[in-house]
Amino acid sequence: MTKRIDIKNLSVDMCERLLRDLERAKRPVLEATKCTLDNSLYNPKVGYLTPGDKKVQTELNVSSVQKMSRAIFILEILLRNLDVGATNTKREIYYIAKGEIKHNAALKPLDFADQNESDEIIDFICEMLECYREDVNCFANDRGGQTYSQQLVVHETMPDGTKAIIDLSRLGTAPFQPKNRPQDLKLRAKKKIDFCVIVESEGTANTLVNSGFTKRHSCILLGAQGVPSNAVRGWTKLIQDQLDVPCYFFGDLDAYTMQNIFRTLKAGSAGSLIRNSDFSAPEVRFLGVLPEDIKKYDLPDYAVKENDASESRALKKARDALNNDPFFKDKRNKGVADILKWLIVHKRRCEQQAYFSVNPRDPLMPEKIILDKIKNKNFV
Amino acid sequence: MAKALQEITSASSAEYFSKNLQQVGFSSYTKALLTTIKEAVDNALDACEEAGILPEVSVVVERLGEAAAKGADKIRVKVEDNGPGLSVDDVVKVFGEYLASSKFGRGRCTRGQQGIGISAVTTWAQLTNARGVVVITKTAKMRQAVQCLVEVDIKHNKGVLKDKKTVEWDRPNGLSCEFVIDARIQLQGEGGVLVYLNGTSLVNPHLTLRYKILDQEWVEMTRVSEELPLIPPATEPHPHTMKLGEFMAHSHLFGRVKVGAWLKKGFSRISDGVLNELAPHGVKKNILEKSVDAATEDDFKNVFSALQKVKLMAPSTKSVLAIGEESLAKSIQRVGAVDFFSVVSRKPTICDFKPVLVETAVARLSDRGEKGEEETVSLLRFANRVPLQFDKAACAMTKAVQSVNWRTYGLNQPKESLPNGPYIIAISVVSPFIKFKNASKETVDASDELVEEIRRAMIQAGQRLSKHIRREEKEADLEMKRRHIEQFGPILVDGCCRIVKAGKGRREKALEGLAKLLGREAHLAEKELKEAVEHSEKALAELQEKTGILPSSEDTEVGATRRVTRRIMEPEQLSLTGMEQPKKAAKKKKR
Repeated sequence: MTKRIDIKNLSVDMCERLLRDLERAKRPVLEATKCTLDNSLYNPKVGYLTPGDKKVQTELNVSSVQKMSRAIFILEILLRNLDVGATNTKREIYYIAKGEIKHNAALKPLDFADQNESDEIIDFICEMLECYREDVNCFANDRGGQTYSQQLVVHETMPDGTKAIIDLSRLGTAPFQPKNRPQDLKLRAKKKIDFCVIVESEGTANTLVNSGFTKRHSCILLGAQGVPSNAVRGWTKLIQDQLDVPCYFFGDLDAYTMQNIFRTLKAGSAGSLIRNSDFSAPEVRFLGVLPEDIKKYDLPDYAVKENDASESRALKKARDALNNDPFFKDKRNKGVADILKWLIVHKRRCEQQAYFSVNPRDPLMPEKIILDKIKNKNFV
Repeated sequence: MAKALQEITSASSAEYFSKNLQQVGFSSYTKALLTTIKEAVDNALDACEEAGILPEVSVVVERLGEAAAKGADKIRVKVEDNGPGLSVDDVVKVFGEYLASSKFGRGRCTRGQQGIGISAVTTWAQLTNARGVVVITKTAKMRQAVQCLVEVDIKHNKGVLKDKKTVEWDRPNGLSCEFVIDARIQLQGEGGVLVYLNGTSLVNPHLTLRYKILDQEWVEMTRVSEELPLIPPATEPHPHTMKLGEFMAHSHLFGRVKVGAWLKKGFSRISDGVLNELAPHGVKKNILEKSVDAATEDDFKNVFSALQKVKLMAPSTKSVLAIGEESLAKSIQRVGAVDFFSVVSRKPTICDFKPVLVETAVARLSDRGEKGEEETVSLLRFANRVPLQFDKAACAMTKAVQSVNWRTYGLNQPKESLPNGPYIIAISVVSPFIKFKNASKETVDASDELVEEIRRAMIQAGQRLSKHIRREEKEADLEMKRRHIEQFGPILVDGCCRIVKAGKGRREKALEGLAKLLGREAHLAEKELKEAVEHSEKALAELQEKTGILPSSEDTEVGATRRVTRRIMEPEQLSLTGMEQPKKAAKKKKR
């Protein structure tokens, strides 16, 4: 289990440093890890992107004094939340801050014109403390990760100490929805689980479940709902680590999916360098759509629209990724990099739903193909 | 095709223009009014300047009622000047005959050139209201003024004189012309009459202009310069600016002289040295010795093509007329109260083998208007001191302004557009040969060389202006810094103290340290402001030295800067709200 960050101590340390410097009329400098691709390292043995040595420094000066004052003000609110175990969304924090300012005239200069301003401060605090905002009890809406299984049982300990046991086979048609910070959950398999499939499209995951996929196979099926949220990333990591189950990602064949969805799920992202250890599942394999599947199953594919801004941007990013992204540059990930190269050269794309065209009258055809691919190790 | 070929007839120039009045500024009723005023005022100013008289021009625009045509009014336009007046014979030619001009092709920087404009106005009056122009003229030699009605004989391009009579006129000399036309009155905007009149006064500082538009009171814009602009004499043509036909026709203007002598006398930049250089290009000496009458077409061709190959000095720039930075500076004050301005008068230069002079004035108005910073600047364009009001987008001046990166000088500017803000940018292009895009002289052709020359003038003006804008920015910066220190310092320290549970002593010590720390930055900002103030004041001093003029606005930003400067304190004096004066600093001082 991951070690929880002691936000309170970190905050006191940071403020103590700040105060001490001020007492000596020395300019305080706050340091944070630079979370960008140029400061990302990839070691295949570790399996996810880790931070390099580069740091971002924020110095106290007349231009930053407003931002720092706001940060200390919001930090106090967050620490209070942690003390009493309260959680809030960013929008709620915005209104809490507005309320504080309304009742204390001295704080008037800190007032936020809109939520973007307070959001920026929350992100700034997280950068300084090198934590996720879930660590400061600020949660976003849970998105993605709806999980179905007949074998999986989840043990949850509530903040008040009470315990809950969720047997996914007893949820009927309802899925289990992991929280954005799922690391405290404990997983157990009632019977050996053979594999876990993470489906990019939430709709396709539902279709597979409705057709009895999870009943016929001892597996876990979850919908990623596009770019994986912290919940999906942490949850997949948990399944991989606690159940030792092979995980497969089933998604579209296009540059965006390879870079933004699969890479993030497998090795984390540059933006979350400091927390990738908890939010990446290095063992996940790319099940498809693979370039050879187009020919093998005669799948309908499309040319990339170069006049479409987002598609051409994804291709450009793919070229950059091949040159600069340590994940794609590593020879262990040659298979994934080759797919990216194929996409750049052929400028074609194929959607995961294309498997439904193989035998349009057989609703189980996609399921058969998925199983066939797993069985024949037809993945990357 | 058994039909016989139709007879080919020839038409007079008057007939052509009467059928194509849209080409000379009568494409709409709004334009018609503006063109009428513009042609009459241009003629008045040219006449005064030629005669060495400081111009006093009055303009009356009156609505007489609805016009017969739909969507137009019946308008009376009367323009009077104190110029030398015209003889009756000349009145008939000037107002009733096309292409009758004293300035045609002379290569001087006059407003009128071809002798089309005012005859076109008479035609418009005749076509829309069946009456030509009523003219009152008096020369110094006349005992009494003469009033007459002039109309255009469109078939024969001749002026027709009617109702001639002598009248009493209370002035020694001058000319008044009155037209009744179908038109529509627009005061502001692209085709605005007031925009034209203000623009004319801007580039004619020696003009006293009085006008009465509709029911408004009389407005008088008194001259700000007592000096008449000296219109330089025309220079001889440059051989590289001519075509073969023109070249040959030019030879007949000098009588029976030798070709060599004609070349030296009839063209600029041709000397004996140049004539010697023609030989290697196939011009035999005997051709140069021939009389121009005896020279054959081949001889002319030979000489002409040899001249094109020889490297000649660029044409002379002596023939261009300058308004001057001083007069521009005085004139810009007539537009309204301005915070600051910059004027640039470039040296005459050659663009597309034509001498050109570019002058510019950029001013920020004290009255910011409703939209202020978001509104596009007012761009006033002038060609040979005549405002250009239509077809702005294609004009060389607009293109030049758009090509400058105004953000560098502190103005907002959307991409590839005119900058925004309460500014007036006035550009004057003066040249004996302005390349207009059309006969109604609304747009100057955007050749690369001309655009570049105007662009350079704009950059110079922008640089001068930026000194003042930068000063304002520095003032705002210092204010912001001071405000931030006072407002946020105590909040930051108090917050930190609460989190680490620090006592009162630590709080005060930290506040003291913060004041020192941020005070140093304020001090730095103060230093930068002082530098900016120095630059700005130096620029103002230079402007005053050059032009004798400073911005007229009483409550200028300059004053505001001084107020801020006086308020600047030493860093040790900085105190934060809720904090006592640092005792330590006081003790140190004592020691």
